[in-house]
Amino acid sequence: MSGISKSFPGVKALRGVNLEVREGEVHAIVGENGAGKSTLMKILAGFYHPDEGTIEVGGKRIEAMSPREARDLGIGMIYQELNLVPDLTVAENIGLGAMPRRGPFVDYKALVALAESVLKELDADIDANMRLGNLSLSQQQLVEIAKVVARKPGIVVFDEPTSSLGEKETRILFNVIKRMRAAGIAVLYISHRLQEVMEIGDRVTVLRDGRNIETRDVAGITPDEMVRLMVGRELTEMFPKLDIPLGDVVLDVSTLSRAGEFDGITLDVRAGEIVGLAGLVGSGRTEVARAIFGLDPADTGEVKLRGKSVRIRRPHHAVAAGIALVPEDRKGQGIVPMLSVRENFTLPMIGRLTKAFLVRARRERALVQEFADRLKLNPPLIERALGSFSGGNQQKVVLGKWLLSKPSVLILDEPTRGVDVGAKADIHQIIGEFAEAGGAVLMISSELPELLAVCDRIFVLHEGVLAAEIPRADASEESVMRAATGQGVFA
Amino acid sequence: MTDLNPAARNASEATVRTAGALLGVVSIPLAIVALIVLGSFVSPSFLTVRNLLNVLNAYSAVGLAALGSTFVAICGGMADLSIPANVAMGALVALGAQPLIGPVPAACLGILVASLGGLLNGLLVGYMRINPIIVTLGTGFLLLGLSQLLIGGGIVYAEPSAFGSFVGGTVLGVPVFVWVFLLVALILHVVLSKTPFGRWTFAVGGNYDASATSAVPVRFTKAVAFVLTGMLAGMCGVLIALANGSARPIIGSGYEFVAITAVVLGGTSLFGGRGSILRTLGGVLIMALIGNLIVLIGLPTPSTGFVTGTIVLIVVGVDAYLRRRLGTE
Amino acid sequence: MSGVNLRTMGHLVVQYRLLAMLAAIAIFGGFTLDDFLTANTLRSILDRAAVVGFLALALTPLLIAGQIDLSIGSIMSMSAFTTIAMQPFAGSLPAAFIGLCVGIAAGLVNAAIVVVLKVNSLVATLATLLIYASLVLLVSNSQPVSSTDPMFGLPLTSTMLGIFTPRSMLFIGAALVMFVWLKATPSGRTLYAVGSNLSAAVSAGVNANAYIGGAFVLSGLLAGAAGVLQALSSATGSPLAGSVLLIPAITAVVIGGTRLEGGRGSSLATLGGVVAFGALTTLSEYNGVPSYTQAVYTGLILILLITLDKVASGGEGKTTRARRGARTTPTIKARNP
Repeated sequence: MSGISKSFPGVKALRGVNLEVREGEVHAIVGENGAGKSTLMKILAGFYHPDEGTIEVGGKRIEAMSPREARDLGIGMIYQELNLVPDLTVAENIGLGAMPRRGPFVDYKALVALAESVLKELDADIDANMRLGNLSLSQQQLVEIAKVVARKPGIVVFDEPTSSLGEKETRILFNVIKRMRAAGIAVLYISHRLQEVMEIGDRVTVLRDGRNIETRDVAGITPDEMVRLMVGRELTEMFPKLDIPLGDVVLDVSTLSRAGEFDGITLDVRAGEIVGLAGLVGSGRTEVARAIFGLDPADTGEVKLRGKSVRIRRPHHAVAAGIALVPEDRKGQGIVPMLSVRENFTLPMIGRLTKAFLVRARRERALVQEFADRLKLNPPLIERALGSFSGGNQQKVVLGKWLLSKPSVLILDEPTRGVDVGAKADIHQIIGEFAEAGGAVLMISSELPELLAVCDRIFVLHEGVLAAEIPRADASEESVMRAATGQGVFA
Repeated sequence: MTDLNPAARNASEATVRTAGALLGVVSIPLAIVALIVLGSFVSPSFLTVRNLLNVLNAYSAVGLAALGSTFVAICGGMADLSIPANVAMGALVALGAQPLIGPVPAACLGILVASLGGLLNGLLVGYMRINPIIVTLGTGFLLLGLSQLLIGGGIVYAEPSAFGSFVGGTVLGVPVFVWVFLLVALILHVVLSKTPFGRWTFAVGGNYDASATSAVPVRFTKAVAFVLTGMLAGMCGVLIALANGSARPIIGSGYEFVAITAVVLGGTSLFGGRGSILRTLGGVLIMALIGNLIVLIGLPTPSTGFVTGTIVLIVVGVDAYLRRRLGTE
Repeated sequence: MSGVNLRTMGHLVVQYRLLAMLAAIAIFGGFTLDDFLTANTLRSILDRAAVVGFLALALTPLLIAGQIDLSIGSIMSMSAFTTIAMQPFAGSLPAAFIGLCVGIAAGLVNAAIVVVLKVNSLVATLATLLIYASLVLLVSNSQPVSSTDPMFGLPLTSTMLGIFTPRSMLFIGAALVMFVWLKATPSGRTLYAVGSNLSAAVSAGVNANAYIGGAFVLSGLLAGAAGVLQALSSATGSPLAGSVLLIPAITAVVIGGTRLEGGRGSSLATLGGVVAFGALTTLSEYNGVPSYTQAVYTGLILILLITLDKVASGGEGKTTRARRGARTTPTIKARNP
């Protein structure tokens, strides 16, 4: 692949990436969240078409390919998310779309034989006749790999394949990859886990901000160097940090746990403080936030507000207690696109805006207009459907709707994702003003520079447990990344 | 879609959006005018105050169920197919209980029982999150059977009462049915457009997850929409039973479709987030005019069902197309 | 936790409902009626189950594919009426064939609306339910027609091999053929994939639209078959033949254990559900229970079972979501002082 560029509205995801994968090599790709890894892979899988650049497979130049064409070219994809049919057997899943047949019937003997041979090749101890849904997640992951291997691909892309695998399965997977390499298959291996990259990779390409920074032999690089290459970018945006005196502890979370997601999370946020919650995708950041807000209540643990224990089982408990959450998935959970800006704005607190059961329309309009102006909503038309605004302005409304209800704790999950630079600065200013007025902020972001610039303290999650608590003075991209990638703690 | 030129896409999207909006605003009054013009050509007796009042009168009772269905549709509950059962429940209880407790309390009891039917739907759809069509299909069957069981499967007659003749009569020359329908419509219009509950209804239908994240009582809102529809279906049954002086279990058969069609015709989406009581009012009016025209032209009764079903298909098909074009689905 | 207990209990009830129902019916019937547990009763149950059985078979592949067809009752009415009404013009056998063709045509219309216009199948077939029902009422002038050849359909309900009738054998045969198709052919297996995980099926190169459309056409055909059978064996073409059979058919399918959310089910389960439901109906009739009481418990069973299904499957969604943050070994657990 050479000179690949791809833009989405408001974001330039890839800027002229070059990547070359050789036969029989394991080529690792590392980078922060949002560095462009997944976009690159989706282009390779035929889901996106590049704006610029060319792809060559086996010396053949390819213009634009569909997912099916990509598969026919011998490109196999193994995603983090499983793409299997739980109600079919393992063998049927492996053969789906091209089942061997005898007469009008499925040739089960051949199908099972095929499945068993592939599973054996993978050294996976799985009964091909089992219903897929009855397998453990790590076994399902191996079936997913078997499905791809059964098609005899020339290039296999692994996207975070070990995120749901145990130690043993990871070993098996590495053996599989080594065998693929020996068989002359080109393997692209995307992972957050640098140790894995050191172990399995032959070469590694570091992506950052949609550019390939460097491609090196794994033998000639250390994990520390990789981290430095991943994060070492100049700041293109300004993050002003206000100097706010800290007050008492407002939010106090202790030993919060939810089976399979996070374990023993203890953290606190003071009045006027902005606390970061860092971690890689899948580390449990979002889950912790949702648990505090009562969307997916925690199994065990306690949440205290200003020293008083509160029981939060549903979002309106959280709202009543003064906690607000700006969710990560703006389109899915943040906005009601058909409703107007005004209606979205007042949604959480509309019950308090009434007189004799009726909404006080004039007061509502005035209140929302005032806030919209303060948030620099553009265009400032509060009666327009929110769905027709840009991502940044939608995000301002989501933020604003919570500020309107005057919470004491504001939890922000990726508040500036997919937002252009101007809106980003506005959003940071809003957050700063909230803290200045004595609010407590817990902020999740995949963008380390943002966290470093804005936060007073940063908690780092790694695989569902707290890996580090880093005060502002000691926080650097390296220290946070090391904790987030599970490489021990120093601060 | 990603390989479409964004500017061109925006432009075409805007065109579709504007066209859709324009269609939404002018189509209802236009259709009503067209039907009236058509009607006056078909029959000289069409464009008389008496006929038009009769038309409205005939559809006022079922119109009540349509008003409830508007809430169901907007909150993303699609449709309530148990309307005929709740109509029957209301009617049979209202007449059956008359000798025991008197006409007015019996009428209230009828409405209450039908509301309980709606509550059953509400619990299953709102709190258990089961598909509303399947739920109401099942509860409809169950409740209709129950209503027959209640009376042993025959007819119930009303005792002559002042209340009964009042309901069947007129006030200021306008039938009581029409008064009730318009009054309920007015109240529900205010509820839907001016209260927090109305706001929740739109929000839940527009984006369930976002509403839950915004601390909207999503399950409650959905459940109440079904309770309301059950209550109004019961009211519809009570009115008809009192006016006719008798009731049988099939009293409301087909009303679910009339209600759905009126809602859909008005431009309220069956998939939530958009709609209004005024639109349903227009929808009921159009349905009434179409029904009257079919009678005046002399077409057999089942043509109403044919026309109704076809209208639903066309409107829902266009809605699905517009949604796909606008990428909201 | 009580939620877990409720879920396992729900699971048990859901799993063994068919056996439990049949056993309960047999015990209750054996006690209340002297001649209930006889071959004769079984023959009668199977024979009576055939018509609802075909409707239930019509639903089965569609539900597996994650769709639904609410218009099957109306399609049945159209086919029943056509079969009898065409007899004087076309002859009895061709008329029956025309009846089946009406079913296929109705299925094609449904398929087109769902696949081409992309209208939700619940709403689409709700509308065609009304359209087809009105259509046959219009054509028939709301009156049933009597067969000009009443002897033609008579053998359908005559006793065969002790406990069967040709009608019930047709149904059982159809259920078995469908079983083999769904379980043992590539297209049958793929249908499960379409209903269970559409995106996985599509990404494996499956033309999901063809499968969904095909399931609608098959549904029309089988609903048509129900109408033809009913019309011939009763020698009447009623425009209301199928109008009250939709819910019993859905209930029979759900009793069998086919999930309304798609991806799971089998025609043998449907066969079992239909027989259990038929046994219940027969038992009620032997005991003189009026039809509206039957409607009450039919509705109750349906609602109870779908609620239990929902409770029992409540955990599944969570496991898939949980795997986003799934992890196996906690690594370093350290905090800065």
